[in-house]
Amino acid sequence: MIPLERLTSCFQGVIPSWLCTCALDGTPNAAILSHVDYVDSRHVALSFQFFNKSKRNVAENPKALVRIIDADTMQVYALKLRFVRTETSGPIFESMRLRIEAIASYSGLKGIFKLLGADIYEVLSVEQVEYEAGLPNAVASGTSGDTTRTIFTMKALQAFSDGIRDAATLDCMLDNALETLERIFGFAHSMILLPSDRPDRLELIASRGYPEGGVGSEVGFGEGIIGMVAEARKPIRISGMLRYMLYADAVAKRTKGLGIPVSARCIPLPGLPHPDSQLGIPLLVRDELVGVLCIESDQPYRFHEDDRAYLEVLGGYLAIAIQNALLRERSDAAEDAAAPPPNAARVAAVQPPSRPTLQVEYYQSDECVLVDGEYLVRGLPAKILWKLLNEHSAGGGAEFTNRRLRLDKSLQLPAYKDNLESRLILLRRRLAERCPEIRLVQSGRGRFRLELASAVTLASRP
Amino acid sequence: METVAFISDELAQFLESGLSIVVATRDGELQPDGAAAWAARVHEDRTHLTVYLYEEAAARMLRNLTSYPQIALDFDRPTTHRACQVKGLYLSSRPAEPWERALVYQQADAFAADLDAIGIPGAMLQGWKTWPCTAFQVRATALFEQTPGPGTGERLP
Repeated sequence: MIPLERLTSCFQGVIPSWLCTCALDGTPNAAILSHVDYVDSRHVALSFQFFNKSKRNVAENPKALVRIIDADTMQVYALKLRFVRTETSGPIFESMRLRIEAIASYSGLKGIFKLLGADIYEVLSVEQVEYEAGLPNAVASGTSGDTTRTIFTMKALQAFSDGIRDAATLDCMLDNALETLERIFGFAHSMILLPSDRPDRLELIASRGYPEGGVGSEVGFGEGIIGMVAEARKPIRISGMLRYMLYADAVAKRTKGLGIPVSARCIPLPGLPHPDSQLGIPLLVRDELVGVLCIESDQPYRFHEDDRAYLEVLGGYLAIAIQNALLRERSDAAEDAAAPPPNAARVAAVQPPSRPTLQVEYYQSDECVLVDGEYLVRGLPAKILWKLLNEHSAGGGAEFTNRRLRLDKSLQLPAYKDNLESRLILLRRRLAERCPEIRLVQSGRGRFRLELASAVTLASRP
Repeated sequence: METVAFISDELAQFLESGLSIVVATRDGELQPDGAAAWAARVHEDRTHLTVYLYEEAAARMLRNLTSYPQIALDFDRPTTHRACQVKGLYLSSRPAEPWERALVYQQADAFAADLDAIGIPGAMLQGWKTWPCTAFQVRATALFEQTPGPGTGERLP
């Protein structure tokens, strides 16, 4: 029998598979499948989302046939199967559930478009269908994995490690990590999100490959691939996303047609307008979620299993580095050191003002800041900005230290792990994107200067 | 006695629009098997269909159908996932005639265009063998909704 391990490209969900079953009365049935998952050398798993004819058939006659297609070569394989059991927990179920729920949350279908079980089938035979031999002169199955392995060389891993190790600040480290992912590994669209000061939410703090930047964008736990990665603390890789989204869309239309309410709130895909592959990696230090790294592509089968495995390793390294940087910067801030700016490149001349005056409003109930009526930032970064502007306006100067902010009770920072440094990075980047007339320029370790290129009027709202 | 299903004009138009068509059969041990079909034509009586399979795929299906004529045809449009299942009885087969070649190519091309729209480009479909075909005559006995979601598998009127 052809080993299932040679058919990795068939188990990516890029090309739809079919399942044929047969009722006890001899009536056959055919159905399109969204995904066939590899379990082990003798088993595959099929998702069980709706009670349908296939499900009823295998309950009375366990014989089935599934046709899978190699996404690299288009070679068709016919697998004779025997239904064994349905799993509703465990690693296979969890892996399938996360993928499906990520898609569901994008489509407003959480709770409707969900995994009821992972149907485990024993593989009795694997036939390479001769008359559906796929692309002429196609490379053999499994070579895609070899390709990715050539990317993850020791030299490349060393380059990634160097970029993190040599960064003077967390700010630089995040940029270095994403820059290396593109330059060395070719992952051109990436983002890092760190926990927000609001519970169960993440905020985008660094991105690469997106014109809009998106710093400050929020994702709730359980929302989309990033939110599911954060909630489950497990990596999720989705290939052929467009097809999954269309499948979910079909479910949504049918659900609405039957009068079942569907959430009107759809989570917009972060980043690329139409990503076809996404890979989310939790950044974990022991059990603590430090952040989420997400890479995406508009190619349907961009990320392979090897990418996931290697990026999990890199993500582990990055997580420790981020956590250490946060602790170190906090420690530096406590000493209130007057060291020179760690990243001179960031201390640039004030940009020429595009607006002569800025109307800055702080909404207390939402804890958010608007500039000239446009949303800028919320939560702790908003409170910090409001405090800085008010102190500056009252003649309190333009030089600030992290330590002073940390001791300021009005900011209500938690006593332990306040993430002040990451909030300041977010605020600095958000200002650079949306309000370049206001700048926070690092003037030393744990020190920064408020620079205003426009006159500012302040208004506090309930 | 087997019932006869009536295929509406709207459904006939859908079935002939160039879709993913899966043919399912089974052997005497109730082991199912399946193959792709490239085109379908609904007869004027609206109770019979002709489906077109590449001849080698057809030969494989005929191993079952000559003894066990129950057949299932799954029709699915990849871009919308609108899907329908026709249950039926296999009646006969013949080599597809030259005039039917254009029909097969037209529907296969429409299916390819639909796949292209979901990110599977035409270049990946170069290996498709769509001709010569064998034509299967099938009598429809039941029609089922197959679009994914609640209610999938319900019988169509």
